[in-house]
Amino acid sequence: MMKKRFNGTGWLFASPYLFYGVIFFIIPLIWSFYLALTDWNLIAPVYEFIAFDNFIEAVQNPGVQAAFFVTFKFMGAFVPMVIVSSLIVALVVHGLPRFKGLFLIGFFLPYLASGVVSSLIVKGLLSYNSSINVVLRESFGLDIDWLNSPLSALLVVAAIIAWKFTGYYALILTAGFEGINKEIYEAAAIDGVSAAQRFFRITLPLLYPALFTTLILSIGVSFGIFTEVYQLTGGGPNYATNTWQMEIFNQAFTNLNAGYASAVAIIASIVTFVAIIMIRKILEAWGKRNGWV
Amino acid sequence: MKMKKSSLFLSTSILAAALAGCSTGGDSGSEDGTTTIEFWAAPNPTQQVYWEEMAEAFEKENEDIKVEVSPMKESPTSEAGIQTAIAGKSAPTMSENINRGFAAQLAESKALVPLNEIEGFEELLQNRSMEETIKTWKFADDNQYVMPIYSNPMLFGWRIDVLKEAGVEEVPKTYSEMLEAADKLKVKFPDKYIWAKPDLADPTAWKRWFDFFMLYDAASGGNNFIEGDQFVADDAAGVGVLQLLADLRERDVLLTKQATDPFESGLGVFTDIGPWTFSYWEEKFPEMVYGETFDLALPPVPDDVSTENVNTFADTKGIVVYASATEEERAAAMEFMNFVYSDPENDLTWLETTKLPPARDDLSSNEAFTAFFEENPELKPYADAIPNAIPSIDNAKYNELQTHIGSMAVNPVVEGTTSPEDGWEEMKRAIEEELNK
Amino acid sequence: MVGSSKGLVFRYIIAFALLSVMVFPYLYMVLNSFASWDQVDKSIIPSSFSFRSYEWLFTGGEGGMSRPWIRSFFNSVIVSSASTALMMVSGAMVAFALAKMKFKGRDFINNAVLFQMFFPAIILLIPTFLIVQNVGMYDSYLAMILPKALSLWAVFMYTNFFRAIPDTFIESARLDGANNLQILLKIVLPMSKSITTVIFLFLFMERWTELLWDMIVVRSDHMLTLNVLLSQMFGPYGGYPGPLYAASVILTVPIIILFLCFAKQFKEGMQFTLK
Repeated sequence: MMKKRFNGTGWLFASPYLFYGVIFFIIPLIWSFYLALTDWNLIAPVYEFIAFDNFIEAVQNPGVQAAFFVTFKFMGAFVPMVIVSSLIVALVVHGLPRFKGLFLIGFFLPYLASGVVSSLIVKGLLSYNSSINVVLRESFGLDIDWLNSPLSALLVVAAIIAWKFTGYYALILTAGFEGINKEIYEAAAIDGVSAAQRFFRITLPLLYPALFTTLILSIGVSFGIFTEVYQLTGGGPNYATNTWQMEIFNQAFTNLNAGYASAVAIIASIVTFVAIIMIRKILEAWGKRNGWV
Repeated sequence: MKMKKSSLFLSTSILAAALAGCSTGGDSGSEDGTTTIEFWAAPNPTQQVYWEEMAEAFEKENEDIKVEVSPMKESPTSEAGIQTAIAGKSAPTMSENINRGFAAQLAESKALVPLNEIEGFEELLQNRSMEETIKTWKFADDNQYVMPIYSNPMLFGWRIDVLKEAGVEEVPKTYSEMLEAADKLKVKFPDKYIWAKPDLADPTAWKRWFDFFMLYDAASGGNNFIEGDQFVADDAAGVGVLQLLADLRERDVLLTKQATDPFESGLGVFTDIGPWTFSYWEEKFPEMVYGETFDLALPPVPDDVSTENVNTFADTKGIVVYASATEEERAAAMEFMNFVYSDPENDLTWLETTKLPPARDDLSSNEAFTAFFEENPELKPYADAIPNAIPSIDNAKYNELQTHIGSMAVNPVVEGTTSPEDGWEEMKRAIEEELNK
Repeated sequence: MVGSSKGLVFRYIIAFALLSVMVFPYLYMVLNSFASWDQVDKSIIPSSFSFRSYEWLFTGGEGGMSRPWIRSFFNSVIVSSASTALMMVSGAMVAFALAKMKFKGRDFINNAVLFQMFFPAIILLIPTFLIVQNVGMYDSYLAMILPKALSLWAVFMYTNFFRAIPDTFIESARLDGANNLQILLKIVLPMSKSITTVIFLFLFMERWTELLWDMIVVRSDHMLTLNVLLSQMFGPYGGYPGPLYAASVILTVPIIILFLCFAKQFKEGMQFTLK
């Protein structure tokens, strides 16, 4: 229907993206490859081309290696945490006849928290002489080194972010539950299907699209963690929470190794890109094999 | 209806223009003959107050120079904040709070002005009576990049009230006395610790000044650690320090968990203390009284080292002028420094507000200062320790090097994942590799 | 039927318990910001209260200098509002072009948007910083606003929504002589109120709580956003947990109020996006 005379206006309307895409995507992208081949330290007037030395150094660096594994460890902790908690919230809330909206709004509130704030609160809650730790020590004999042992530091950060996203994902899952036709359950009840069977045979397949969305979103989150780690652990102890963002920030803006940090950023981007595509493919194949899609 | 279209773009562009107007850079408008210099103060209120007062007094006498004082930002350290500003081509004219290693690093990137190239530097050294002090500050290229403000020996505080209850009458001076105190403390108070400090498990470079280097300087008699590009550390002293940490760990008297005010609450009875702590205590912990609840001491030493004239780490910082400053700004910066340091009263005010000993040759002879220390007994130990205080290493790679001390040696020993000997060897290898890069 | 109503009560109790756990950190933050200093972080509910933490924030305590808390709050407001406004405008414009206009290169732009949206942005951090520095925007509002003046996500969301609007509406308006801008402003956007609310809230929240970018492009005390200032406070003010909670309250409460104001539209908008 629409004809070519709209040509110019179309480009005009799209122009914000064109400017933005060139200035804040294409140019930086090329620049970052250029930087990665130099030893520039961000402030010195001179620098040298060192070909692929930055890349070679990066893959051998313990911080970079840690970032690679930490991202997946983090995913392993965060994704199940947030999926289970948002599923629980959605299960409890979706059938409520009244105040459902109010509850969903309430559960969404953590999403508004700045990572700085939530990290500071958690720091206070987990301080050695905080009430929680005093109770744990005196009543249960548990003396947990929350932020100095690698596993628990990782879990604490994962939990903070899971706290933030639970309400958001619960919204998505609630909508998924509501899309399920009640009659299917009633038919199943007549056929004498057990609760477990009902969940796996009926609920899960019908919920799959919503679940798929939350899975993809939460996996995406796992690749972009900075604030909580920066504020709470600084990437420690011993790189146990050193994410890509943290490593790149430290190299570029604390140690000023702009060239090297660019190389790390390129590696990080490639790893992220490949990993997300692979995970997506696996999830889709999993859904297909079970006949959910 | 054409109006609408243009008004949308118009309002967007007006918004953009308005915002552009808001963004005032640090330009020093010298059109009307005044030079504006920007001075970054250390990110603590006391030092900021001091410099604002100085700037005000200076401006009264020099109407053609304006000094804008603001605190440097910490993201995550003040060093990183400065570097990012330099990278943003937006460094201040000058700043304080610069240690030797960091100055070396900046000088290597040509980010600093050699102070000796600005007219008036010689005069400044004479006026402030620091011709001796400055000699040790000369850099490898024979330039002076830093004008040292203070040199503060770090001391350890001991909670003598808690120790007394545990049956320890004397502040421990040697490692074995310290370990003995640890045993007694643990018997009386199983929930208390000798040293409660999360920094012990943190590899951040500067944190080593306030644990490792204090102990190491004491144990090695002030050995240099690194000279030029050579690792020259005293192995026995270094391993000894790590062994002390390992022994404390074994006795379960090290606590590296985040705790709120562990020393003040008596959870730990030993910690590094700088004079800046006292104003914080006045505000928050009036119960901390020198000689009653706490005492100050030089670092404990190995049993075979004399407990007389013990060395310790000197936290020492100074002023630098950044290379981006124009000729006028450099001259103005020097004038400001000359104004501040030609009058010993200003150094006394510094001492009174910050409690940090000025880096002057005449600190112990000038009556203005000796009187101050008489009146402030808790600061006397700091003044007494000045002759034996060792400044930080001045290698441009100090950040990486000190990170290795933490991540290879101190942190794993404190966590019990390596032995002192192995940790030291690992660290040594990493440092030598870094130096040869 | 009795059993099911009992079950319902039980579900409300569980829902309420879960909700309490989720909002507990906020409660803890507020209570501790009003706690006496010797009570901060010592118990779940402090036993005595005072305004000392807030006083300290604005006066800097006995010794010293207060940090620019009020100024930084307004910096956050300016940066977040301007940036969000630009993202909304650019998002709607680009999306309209992609969804409802036909022109050569449209598919290319559409694919470029999608590609860039899934491209890991971390690679752009350092060069974007250098661009900002080279055009002299470092340490200005513009440095915080312009690189965040377009949101690919907003383009994506609007495009999807606009596509669902039947072309007949647009065609009839066009026959009445309306131009594209008029169609966007008079027909398309009024039909998109709920999705606009959702996009606005998400963008604003994200901008309000940004740390990394705002931290590296700003150096002056008077240019800091509240979130960055709070983040820095844990260093020099590490020993002052009370004021830290007070500042957290100041950062968090406005965004919660804003969200609650739009909660109804937000709910409606979410329902669309989730279908």
